[in-house]
Amino acid sequence: MFKKILIANRGEIALRVIRAAREMGIKTVAVYSLADRDSLHVRFADEAVCIGPPPSKESYLNIPRLMAAAEVTNADAIHPGYGFLSENSGFADICAASGLIFIGPSASAIAKMGDKALAKETMRKAGVPVVPGSDGLVADLNQAKKITEQTNFPIIIKATAGGGGRGMRIVREISELENAFQTASHEAETAFANSAVYIEKYIEEPRHVEIQVMGDRYGTVVHYGERDCTVQRRHQKLVEESPSPAITQEIRDAMGEAAVKGAQSVNYLGAGTIEFLLDKDKKFYFMEMNTRIQVEHTVTEEVYNVDLLKMQIEVAAGAKLKKVMARPQWHVIECRINAEDPNHDFRPSPGKITTLHFPSGFGVRVDTHAYDGYEIPSNYDSLIAKLIVRSKTREEACEKMFHALEEFVVEGIKTTIPFHKKLMRNETFRSGKFDTSFVENFDFKEKPQQG
Amino acid sequence: MELSYIKKIIRLLENSNVDELEIEEEGKKIRVARNRQSTANFGFPASAPMSYASGAAQHLPAAAESKPAAPTKTEKQYHEVRSPIVGTFYRSPSPDADVYAEVGQQVKAGQVLCIVEAMKLMNEIECDADGTLMQVMVENGKPVEYNQVLFLIDKG
Repeated sequence: MFKKILIANRGEIALRVIRAAREMGIKTVAVYSLADRDSLHVRFADEAVCIGPPPSKESYLNIPRLMAAAEVTNADAIHPGYGFLSENSGFADICAASGLIFIGPSASAIAKMGDKALAKETMRKAGVPVVPGSDGLVADLNQAKKITEQTNFPIIIKATAGGGGRGMRIVREISELENAFQTASHEAETAFANSAVYIEKYIEEPRHVEIQVMGDRYGTVVHYGERDCTVQRRHQKLVEESPSPAITQEIRDAMGEAAVKGAQSVNYLGAGTIEFLLDKDKKFYFMEMNTRIQVEHTVTEEVYNVDLLKMQIEVAAGAKLKKVMARPQWHVIECRINAEDPNHDFRPSPGKITTLHFPSGFGVRVDTHAYDGYEIPSNYDSLIAKLIVRSKTREEACEKMFHALEEFVVEGIKTTIPFHKKLMRNETFRSGKFDTSFVENFDFKEKPQQG
Repeated sequence: MELSYIKKIIRLLENSNVDELEIEEEGKKIRVARNRQSTANFGFPASAPMSYASGAAQHLPAAAESKPAAPTKTEKQYHEVRSPIVGTFYRSPSPDADVYAEVGQQVKAGQVLCIVEAMKLMNEIECDADGTLMQVMVENGKPVEYNQVLFLIDKG
């Protein structure tokens, strides 16, 4: 088992890794930028190394400084968290070359799944249902036109190196194609330094349902059921829940089996998530694979009573996985509490938290790096806390979440708490029948007289 | 208590998994605690939660891990030369060579003051001010982090 893990990340996930490592008796090294000097992950790690000024490029994304920190502290493993370098195959390679265990999949699995077009092709070959569309990248407008003849409108043009909703354009008729193709390629070039795009059939009224997988070094891959992440705004998840109100045990088993097959085809090691689109006829299609632990791993942990972070560390160290029967016993909902103002287009609201009180109690979990008096830096993402509730039914979980949100006090900055409260009492959300367009049409603005 | 006795206790501690040891006999008491800083610890114990053993660092006897000398009261007037990278600090280009600069020596901006080594790469760290080298803030061979103060220069 590892003696010391360096966490190449920050915020709540760094703290989560530290907690798992502590329970396993493993020492931890936190790295931090000058902006995170007072961050909780720095205080709770056994050792901490400052690796640079606030900009991510010069700190959390700076591989030489991370490697130097691992060297001077004699760390034997690195946990990359999520975001930052967690899906950077070059980083995984460098760790391996330096004799450090990268807690995650191999560099080649990361590279394969990181290239969206290649990932889709790999899954298709493994027998995983994929969205019909182009066979890999689309070279030019002519090729695009040909594909639309087979696939039929509506279609979506996507950047192969993309993510977070950028480099994507929906096209509903042939007259829109040329402009959409040019702008999608241009946006991809600007955002990801790679203008390559591919085309897919655009699934209408989709739901986003993802499967949590875990692989060991011996070829075994298991799955821990699904998370429904359909509540999204501009392709950013806001709420996640499990089980999905849209699927049956039969569909769960089918999706799980497909996800396991897909992960096995790339000899997947560690925690991963296969994202599917579920259409209105309950057919599922591979969308992409996230080769890392995710923000919403907590939902799965609560539903299936499993510590995914510990498991990541254990399989990285050579543990063998046991078979899992994914039968959810609880209903779990997670709300991402972001430092954003929902009344002003969710614009970021960094600053000092003057008062902080989290809800707690039976079936209430809060994962956060925030504390009373914490100054949220403006250089990183806006996630400050994850509120997770667990109940026997979905109905109860929605109510429990509403009350937990009521008890959640954050002063000094704006947060998405008011948005989530409205959501929990919203008829459509409560019905469980909605798709990814739901939030765009959801009127959640605070009316002047209401509290 | 004799020095040899104290040394024995320290060796005992170092060779075990014990973090802290307190012995009282004949009215004399000795307390020896493991300093996490002895394993290249960059920790900021001052701001750590109270339950942390980092508090033990303050109880270290002088014979164990020696820490860099505490900065003098006037240090705030001095120019701080800070490390631009993470690595191991060396005062001389090689183990047998002379140090780059002695305390009390006049130094110039651009002059190499030390090496910070990371992954076998020797990075020469240059002075960024003219003046007198007043204090070396890090022990030779010890790890340094980004922005850590390496030298104090009196700009005169």
